[in-house]
This record gives sequence, structure tokens and C-alpha cells, in this order.
Amino acid sequence: MRGYAVADTELSSFDRQFHARCALQRPDRYRLLDALPADAPRIARGGGVSYVGASFGGGAISQSLDAFDRLLVFDAEHGHLTVEAGARIGDLQRFLLERGWYLPVAPGHPRASVGGCIAADVHGKNPARDGTFRTWLDALVVQRPHTEPHVVDREHDADLFGATCAGFGLTGTIVSATLRLARPPRALVLRRVPVANLAAAARVLREAANAPVLYGWHDGGAAHFGRGVVNIGLASDDDRDRVDALPPASADLPARVAPLPFTAWNRAGLAAANRWLDWRWCRAGQAPMTLGDALFPLNRARLYFAGFGHAGMAEAQWLVPHPRFEAFATALADLVARTRPRIALIASKLFAGTADGFSFDGNGVALAIQVAAPAAHGERAFLEALAELAIAHDGRPNLIKDSTLEASVARRAIGGFEAARARLARHDPQRLHTSELARRLAL
Amino acid sequence: MTALVVGASSGLGRALANELARRGHALLLVASDLRDIDAIGADLRIRHGATVRSLALDLAREADPGARVAAALEGLPPLASVLLPVGLSRMDDDLGLDAARIGELLAINLHAPLAIAHALLPRLREARGVIVLFSSIAAVRGRGRNVVYAAAKRGIESLYESLRQRHRETELRVQLYRLGFLATNLTHGLALPMPAAAPDDVARLVVERLRRGSARWYLPRRFALVAMVVRLLPWPLFRRMQS
Repeated sequence: MRGYAVADTELSSFDRQFHARCALQRPDRYRLLDALPADAPRIARGGGVSYVGASFGGGAISQSLDAFDRLLVFDAEHGHLTVEAGARIGDLQRFLLERGWYLPVAPGHPRASVGGCIAADVHGKNPARDGTFRTWLDALVVQRPHTEPHVVDREHDADLFGATCAGFGLTGTIVSATLRLARPPRALVLRRVPVANLAAAARVLREAANAPVLYGWHDGGAAHFGRGVVNIGLASDDDRDRVDALPPASADLPARVAPLPFTAWNRAGLAAANRWLDWRWCRAGQAPMTLGDALFPLNRARLYFAGFGHAGMAEAQWLVPHPRFEAFATALADLVARTRPRIALIASKLFAGTADGFSFDGNGVALAIQVAAPAAHGERAFLEALAELAIAHDGRPNLIKDSTLEASVARRAIGGFEAARARLARHDPQRLHTSELARRLAL
Repeated sequence: MTALVVGASSGLGRALANELARRGHALLLVASDLRDIDAIGADLRIRHGATVRSLALDLAREADPGARVAAALEGLPPLASVLLPVGLSRMDDDLGLDAARIGELLAINLHAPLAIAHALLPRLREARGVIVLFSSIAAVRGRGRNVVYAAAKRGIESLYESLRQRHRETELRVQLYRLGFLATNLTHGLALPMPAAAPDDVARLVVERLRRGSARWYLPRRFALVAMVVRLLPWPLFRRMQS
């Protein structure tokens, strides 16, 4: 395999729940992107920061798109950017902000790639206002084995366009994309609204639906379950609130956070952290907010992720429709009180879109629940019960976040699962694009 | 002033193009696949506002690469720097290659730099410019692998000496780098005996030294010691080294 420069290497998911020895190719020229044998299973790999094994595993050769990070066309007047799929979101935001533009939808990890954001159809700081990544995607180029690159948009091959957004790289390798840009807020102020529980948080989220930044943080411990704060980032014209430039790339959260040799997030550690955050955050007030903090909150979370130790964490993320959310929140509080899982964090967000295929979208409130040591018996039982509870309340899971989700659960939770799967198969009939995620969920 | 980078599509060549554009040079980029250099050119124009022209050349088959490059320079600012990090190596270059493959390796690693250097000498002398050649640690002492590649790189070292012997420093500066392992597609997946240097770091040093006089350097510097050891190794021991 030397012609393709393939290395045997150990890769793991960001949540540390899946590790595998894989063949990793690092093409640095276009001809090498399509140099693998026609029948070789493959999967594109961007920043490699997906919580689940989306860019490796399943017997596939991982094709790193690190070298494909070039800006191809930049229309500074109308706000359009054509860029190769390996470009990192953090680098793009730094480039764009200096020129008066930004990507309004960006994931928390600055090392996520453009291709990864499309393949996962990620959401940003307020999906109810800005939609998901596909909202800002005008066109993309998909490379399928031993064929000419395919340019697709909503008019030309809309089916492939739709299948590729939240298609987890299974329709082909995304080579480049054309994105629409937005003008960033001149300044941001962060308003904190303390909430007593998740139902109260949902009400605050709905009232602030048009804020550029909108999310809640909640205590996941049984004693104060759901108590927390909703952070509302508001645009400001006051120069005193002027946002700083983004910090340099060296400040970005690394793709791999070295774990502490022990799990800091045991019950005592979590209780102490929640008390401290409660004291620090859960007070009404308003203060200037830097764009760096707004766009990439994970940059300050290095120690938080390291604290999970070698056992890692899992994030279950469920989007529950508004009419069912209050009942879901009440039942969830009961479940936590009964099972007392080690929940490290709960984040809430508002959604107001329409799901397509496997995308994580809809009209409701999403909860991201991060659990320490998810392989432990109690935590595993909690995650299974959570899935049942969410499904009973018409919840929709985020497949790109939750490495504990089983195929049978995903099938029941996502309406039109089989149709979405069949759509992927139409665009890759030989199933040459595969990954651990595709294998686990039988995509 | 214009800088020419031959082999600009990846590895050290791409890193040099980026560093030169960052410092305000106009560029002529040469590589075999227009898709790659067009993408690099677009990126450098957008990020640095650089003047960039692309030329696709199959150096393994091009009879007169010097003439093609010289023609492509028309209309650009005067040529001041020629950087030739072009190279191709093969895993099976171990005394088993056929004539066609040997010719391909010689064409890319030796004939193309020679032909381009010859064709551009008048312009470089006029601008009192610099020509930067790249050899390899593999050329320090011939072994049973990288046979043709190392022979071609020895040819590059001979070209360096010839150019220096012929020209005063005030007319033309000549710089030669003996490169050790770089973290590029060529070394990806190989079990290397020491860490590979990042092409961006090497490119920064090379571009910083463009204003200096003629000289020969090892990069990374630790390879000077490696080369000395390899050169001084007694023959019976050297023969027993894994080829």
C-alpha cells in the first residue's frame, strides 16, 4: 500500500469510548484522493474530533483531509466562501472575522473541519435562529471512487446534496464546499437568567429565540437536578462591549485531550464542580462576552475533558418536541433521582427546524447529557432508560454525538430511518464508505 | 520580485510557496497537477494578496522544462529566487528498476533541476538572485536502497559546486540544503529512526536565508551529525547496515 502512503495507527473517538487500529492515508494531492483501489472501503477524516467513531473503523481506510484546507474563492462583497473540506472551522473564523464576516453556525470544537460539519450537519450557538450547518451551505463537491468529482447543490442533484448533509461521509468524500457568510455582531453581551429546572429553562429559551447565542447549563445531580442558568448572548452596539478578536490557533482545544490518570468526575468531584459553577454562573446579570467564548466555549474546557480520565465520557443528546418537553423533563428528574448516574453536564438548546434524513433538527428543546464512565453498570442502565424515556416523548437522538446508541434504538427513535438509510445506499450502492458509526448503527 | 518553486503541490514545496507569499513575493508555482497548484494559488491570493501563476509540467516526460518555465515567467516581476524542492523517490529503488523507471527518477530529480537552472541563469544573474537546491541525507553515502534517487541527488550536489565555481557571490548566490526526514506524504507510515521535521519549519528557515550568501546546510541540523557518522563508519560496519 506504499503508493497510497497508508499508515497503521491507533485512533479513538473524542469521548474515548471506541478505539481501533486503522489504516490512515494522508493524501496531499488531488490524484492521491482517488488513488485507493476501487473496491477499498474508505471514510474521510477531518479534524478527527467527532465524539463517535465517524471517521475511522468498520474496516475502512481513513482518508485524512488535513492537506485539503485551502480557500478557493472568497467573495468579500457578498459573503461567500468556497473552501476545501479539510479546513478547520477555528482557522476559518479567524480569517473571516478579520474581514468582517463569520460562520454563524459552528460547532464547539474549533478543530472540526468543514467536511465534518457538513457530514454531521452540526448546529451552533442558537440553532433556532441560525439553523444547522446545511442552512449556510450553497454547494459542495463530492468525490466518489474512480469517478469525476460531483458538484451538487439544492437544484442540481438535490437528493445527493440532502443525503450528504448529515450523511456522515457515507455518500462519498466531501472535497470542497461553498458557504454563505454572515456579518458578526459588533459586540456581544451575555445575559444570565437563573432557572430552577429544565421546564423553566425551556420557557426562557423560547422567549429568547432570536438571540445570537442561546444555551442553558444545568446541574445533573439528583439533589438539584435541572437547576442552572440560561445564557443569552445579545448583540450590542455599545463600543464598551466590543468583542475581541479570536485567540490564536495555539489556544484551540487540541484534537486529543490527554486524560488525567484518574477520574476526577466521581460523585464527590461532580458535586463540588456543580456547587462551584452554581455559585459562579447562576446569578442574574449581564456582562460583555468575547466572541472567542461565544464561538468556542470548549477552548476553556480542557481540564473538564481531561477529568473524565481513561474511562472517558458519553454524550446523549435528545431533541424533544415542545408539547412533550415538560413531561419529559419531569420524568427525567425522576429517573435521575432513582438511578443517580454520574452526569457531568447538561446543556439545553432551542431548535426550530425540520429534520431531514439523519439530521439532528426539529422543533423543540434539545438536552445534551454528558455522563462520566459510561461503561459502568449504573451509567449504562441510565443511558438505556434515558433513550426509552426520550423515545416515549417523541425524542430524536443526535447520532453523531452518542456512542452508546444501538441500532435498534436509533431505528425506533428516528422516523424515516429506513428511508434515510436507503437514500445513502442509492448514492453508494457498494457501501464503500463506512465507519464504526455506520457499522454500529447499521447505516 | 518573483520566486519560482518547482514541486510546489505538496510537502516542502507547498510550505515554501506559503512562506514566500506571506512575505510578499510574486510566485510561479510548478507541479504536475494543475488542480493542486491552482488550489494553492487561490489560497495564497486570498490569504496574502499574492501574485501567483501556476504551471502544470510533467517533469518525468517534459523534454525542455527550462523553456516552459522561462516562458511562464513572462509578465511577472523580475525573477530573483529559484527554489527546486522537486523530488520523487520509490520504495523499489533498490537496484531492481527497469530503464523507464530509472529515467523517470533521473528526469524529476536531476534533469529537471539542471534544465531549469540552465534556462534561468541569465535572468538570475541579471537580478543577482539566488538558486536554492535540495539534496538529501540519502546522498551522503550510496546504499542498496534509494539507488537512483541518491545518485540524482549527488548530481544536484555537483551542480551546486559547478554553479559556485563559475559565479561570484555578487552575480549569483547558490544554496544547497541536505534534507533529513520531513513529515510529508513520502514518510507517512514509515518507522523512522528519528523524528521528522515539519515542512513549515524548514520552509521558514529556507526563506529567511534567501538573502544570505552561498552555503550548504543540513536541515534539520541534527542530520549533520548523522551524515558525519554515516560517512565515517568503517566499511565492514557500513556494509552490514540494513539496506
